[in-house]
Amino acid sequence: MPNPTALTPYPVTITKIVDETSDVKTFTVVFDDPDIMDNFGNLPGQVCMLSIFGEGESTISITSAPTRGKFLEFTVKRVGRLTNIMHQMEVGQKFGVRGPYGNWFPFDIMKGKDLFFVGGGFALAPIRSLIDYALSEQHRSEYGKVEILYGSRSYEDLCFKSDLFERWPSLSNTAIYTTVDRGGDNWQGRVGHVPGYVEEVAPSPENKFAIIAGPPIMIKFALPVMEKLGFKNEQIITTLEMRMKCCLGKCGRCNIGSKFVCVDGPVFSLAQLKGMPQEY
Amino acid sequence: MEARVVNKGQLPELLDKLAKDYDLIAPVQEETVVLFRKISGGKDAFLEYTNSDVSPKGCFLPQNEKTFNYTYTGDSIEINKPEGAQKAVLFGARPCDIKAITTLDPVFEGEKFGDEYYSSKRENTVIIGLSCSKVLSTCFCYAFEGGPCDGTGSDLLFTEIGDKYYVEVNTEKGKALADAYSQIFSSQGADQLAKDKEELAKKLAGEFVRKVDLTGVKELLDNNFELAFWSGDEQKKCIGCGTCTYVCPTCHCFDIFDYPTGDFDGARLRCWDSCMYPEYTLMAGGHNPRPSRKERVRNRFMHKLKYHLDRYNMVGCVGCGRCVRKCPVNIDITKIINDLKEVAQNA
Repeated sequence: MPNPTALTPYPVTITKIVDETSDVKTFTVVFDDPDIMDNFGNLPGQVCMLSIFGEGESTISITSAPTRGKFLEFTVKRVGRLTNIMHQMEVGQKFGVRGPYGNWFPFDIMKGKDLFFVGGGFALAPIRSLIDYALSEQHRSEYGKVEILYGSRSYEDLCFKSDLFERWPSLSNTAIYTTVDRGGDNWQGRVGHVPGYVEEVAPSPENKFAIIAGPPIMIKFALPVMEKLGFKNEQIITTLEMRMKCCLGKCGRCNIGSKFVCVDGPVFSLAQLKGMPQEY
Repeated sequence: MEARVVNKGQLPELLDKLAKDYDLIAPVQEETVVLFRKISGGKDAFLEYTNSDVSPKGCFLPQNEKTFNYTYTGDSIEINKPEGAQKAVLFGARPCDIKAITTLDPVFEGEKFGDEYYSSKRENTVIIGLSCSKVLSTCFCYAFEGGPCDGTGSDLLFTEIGDKYYVEVNTEKGKALADAYSQIFSSQGADQLAKDKEELAKKLAGEFVRKVDLTGVKELLDNNFELAFWSGDEQKKCIGCGTCTYVCPTCHCFDIFDYPTGDFDGARLRCWDSCMYPEYTLMAGGHNPRPSRKERVRNRFMHKLKYHLDRYNMVGCVGCGRCVRKCPVNIDITKIINDLKEVAQNA
């Protein structure tokens, strides 16, 4: 069994790398120790600490659902030193992983409901674990319609293109809405921002959860739209990012008021967030 | 509660013995700074202090600590962890600092995750406290349920009475240590010294010059995150040096980073960090949830006066007064508390 109390990571080997965009890659990894892989027990929405020895650690959400198999996927944007090194890595190479950390999407409470996902840019990554969990053979019957509204700056910036255009639309009772801020020769679809598209699609709040993840500016404009459509704070779920070092609720920096995002989050309902300081 | 008596004249002998049988950590004076470090015997200890410059929290959360060594080539990973802690005695810590350690316990040992590095040291260390014999002008432990002769958290508490130490045995761990050195820990005359200690505690309780009144402060902070107070002159003075957090015995924030020693080898370290630095919360993408000193100062005081209480039901300040003494621009938590009380009253 992995010991999540330890600050010691476990070695993983990269089995696949997908170039999502010019600066985003998805790494598929397996633990070198099969016992750790079998007992990792990650749930949709949880995060891991990734170790590049010599550089340090970084908190990255698990993009894959546990239902998809004995592997983990991490979608990593090249933004700093550690992620820059990761982007130069190749299949077969190793890095360290510890976790899983944090809470998870309330998939039990969501049973019997429709799910409406709203994602912006690179932030589809953390909610993709729940999308695939709900769409898995084992759990598909527990949820109603699964709709995904996703946008990014341009076609080139859309992540998970094969999921968006092939895998998810082919599954039963799904609807995928895609939009880009700037059109181009290779884009025949909708052009415009995510919040406006949500207003246009106008999902009914009845028997539904909305799961939203995106850059702060998208969230800021999407929330009033959701409220206007009649979604209650309890029906809106999001996942937060913070700088973290330990992921164990000890190093201090990811606090929002008395809560630590690493152990009390990263998943919060809008109702919970409204009871917390606006400091994130 | 059991009690013992130790002749002051025998203290050097006791410390010599402890240094032989344990890692003995005690207050020492290095130039003008009083701090805690490992000593080799009684001659090294410096007990004529009231409040050390550096608190003994480093016994359990060292300023720099290796969590493991690594060898990493990209194709292979090898990790070697250090051995657990040695048997140790922390001697001569003041009541406020020992109470501070008890406020760190739930952070590192409670809730969901433990911390093997902290716990190993905590389990293997006997804490021998030393009551204060005077009160500094910056002391205010009384405001946070403490006192100059309070034994909370200690295994043994020494109180100096004349040419003797009155020793309270507070835990089984403390009793085992006292019993192991029974030629030094006697039971003779303990009853009278108990009364003397009570007198001393009463006398010292009347010597605090700093008046701190927490009435209404927690309730104010519970209901008001945004207060004009946090943009006030007192808070604007902060230069973000982080001294308050390093000298604070209840601050526990740390950074984790790698220290390469070769192309493929290195150590992963954790070291004290400070919420007063902008990099502390700065994310790789450039977003910072606490971008200015206002938010950082607020966070520090909110942690001391509210967050730690909310989370662990324990005070986040023990009134040691170090931040008051060491702040280069004289930001004073007791003034902040009293000002917040005013705000609460006028609300």
